[in-house]
Amino acid sequence: MTRLTIDPITRLEGHGRIEIFLGEHGEVANAYFQVPELRGFERFCVGRHAEEMPVITSRICGVCPEAHHLASVKALDELFGVEPPPAAKKIRELLYMAFFVTDHTTHFYALGGPDFILGPDAPPSERNILGVIRKLGAEAGKKVIACRSRNHRVIQMLGGRAVHPSAGLPGGWSKPVSEEERREIEAIARQNVDFALFSLAAFDDLVLKNPAHLALVTSDIYLHRTYSMGTVDGENRLNLYDGMIRVVAPEGGETLKYHPREYADHLAEHVEPWTYLKFPYLRKIGWKGLVDGSGSGVYVASPLSRLNVAAAMATPRAQEHFERLYETFGCRTTGAGREPVHHRLATHWARLIELLYAAERMLALATDPEITSPEVRRMPETIRGVGIGSVEAPRGTLTHHYETDDRGILTRVNLIVGTTNNHAAIAMSIKRAAEKFITGGTVVEEGMLNRIEMAFRLYDPCLSCATHSLPGAMPLEVRIRDRQGEVVRTLRRDGTG
Amino acid sequence: MKTVVIGLGNPILTDDGVGVKAARLLTARLQEREEVDVLELHAGGLRLLDGMAGYQRAFLIDATVAGDCPPGTVRALTLAECGRTRNMACSHDTALLPALAMGDLLGCPLPAEIRIWGVEAADVETFGEELTPPVAAALPEVVELVMAALAAEPMGRSSMAGARERQ
Repeated sequence: MTRLTIDPITRLEGHGRIEIFLGEHGEVANAYFQVPELRGFERFCVGRHAEEMPVITSRICGVCPEAHHLASVKALDELFGVEPPPAAKKIRELLYMAFFVTDHTTHFYALGGPDFILGPDAPPSERNILGVIRKLGAEAGKKVIACRSRNHRVIQMLGGRAVHPSAGLPGGWSKPVSEEERREIEAIARQNVDFALFSLAAFDDLVLKNPAHLALVTSDIYLHRTYSMGTVDGENRLNLYDGMIRVVAPEGGETLKYHPREYADHLAEHVEPWTYLKFPYLRKIGWKGLVDGSGSGVYVASPLSRLNVAAAMATPRAQEHFERLYETFGCRTTGAGREPVHHRLATHWARLIELLYAAERMLALATDPEITSPEVRRMPETIRGVGIGSVEAPRGTLTHHYETDDRGILTRVNLIVGTTNNHAAIAMSIKRAAEKFITGGTVVEEGMLNRIEMAFRLYDPCLSCATHSLPGAMPLEVRIRDRQGEVVRTLRRDGTG
Repeated sequence: MKTVVIGLGNPILTDDGVGVKAARLLTARLQEREEVDVLELHAGGLRLLDGMAGYQRAFLIDATVAGDCPPGTVRALTLAECGRTRNMACSHDTALLPALAMGDLLGCPLPAEIRIWGVEAADVETFGEELTPPVAAALPEVVELVMAALAAEPMGRSSMAGARERQ
């Protein structure tokens, strides 16, 4: 088998690269996104008090500490058998919505947007947030910065610290919300709703009304008919903080619905001999390789998959945009349910709809009379020994699973981070992109790196949730090897930063 | 002259935390200096831009994995070389130079002087709160370099000009 390597960070030799394997006739046999393997997390945690986990896990990643913090405190609620008071759950969700607003904003303007706003073939030196601001104008750039800044303030106000929240505790939250804080957060939430609508309008003008860009979104280049996963509330509406895990089939209709604590009954992990990457799949369907269709257990967990599993959005403006998305793709609703969207570039659109949902949900929580209740904590009285908690992280369902002895000392820790769910799907999208440029052993260099970048960027993969220095400004290196493994050609593009 | 000292990195990823550990030592040394703030940051890119806004000088400390020198080597890096460090860029938004150019474009008050020290790491892929011995041994050196830079005359905007030319 011929092997072709795209190495985005040559200084981390062997890590964070894209491997493309060619088959007998020079066709793309398989493609994989290799992420760095961080060692020893379980060993680092075992022997510690379980209560340390919300702070430890929030340090795993500098990008989404809030997601880890909340999945962790939810696991501790279970571990200590304590149900937080309603106000505590609402404060947690309120903080989480402010986080979602900043994270989705940043992704759209810095990573996803450039491919559409500047075009997929713009040079990488322009295809970045700077190019977006030049195109949309400085006022738009100022809105992005102001949005990040005001929501960081909310996170700090509720979470205790700017970088890593620390207010979550088993059984609740460490401090109530004052009326003064509530008023400020309500005003911020209103600004967030306006900003989300502004962002959707920009997407509408620049993408949906531009035939070339709309054709890109609706093209089959990244089309994969896989299962979709997401969290829903009691009425099957999207919820990012809490609910049941719902899985919808490629043709629509519910395949699975389970409590996050039952994840191990429904998910299994496929292992390949040549990589440490694990590929989770639906146990009930089985592993059939990196292929789509209802016979393959591959699933995706992303903003798009979350909308696919939702019957509706819980907030009115997001519902309007949600309906428009499914109308644009001509999805029908049958007895089984609504047909999902499988065009993966629509993930960027879905992310903006979630941005609007998060802003509206934040406003609903900030105006909930219970949010200022002083009852924010119930004290744990037991140690059950097992706790599993999950939230929808921006990049997919995040699950924390802890086991302890009868003193609450950790004996086992397992995390499934958002990106892990998508390992198979990311590989499939990269393969599809590569196939357009490699046939019969002939590699068309022009445009290939851009399209491969677009493939993994739409999933915004976290590199083992800790390595920050990747895409954005990475150099790309493509190494093409013959069947004996010798490098016969090297393509390289320097980073832009 | 308002100065911010920023230690970048992940404090639970062995040597990746060297910048954060230096920042903690500097916090203790700089308590009396009202014109100096010390920050820990665990992701670069736009967060780094946010962290530097409003200061006249910014001093950054980060781990490097250049592989061309022994672990524990401390080097002053230029802005153009900051792609060699671990945490100046953020894979989820952008690198430092585009972030700075963006800040300029939007009229953010950015530091006139940015200085960067990189400490070559031995291990950035194992969870752990302790630095490896050669990197731990380099901590006093990088702390003294930052202290000396704080005492020195401010440099001009030459380092920033280099950043602009690259854009």
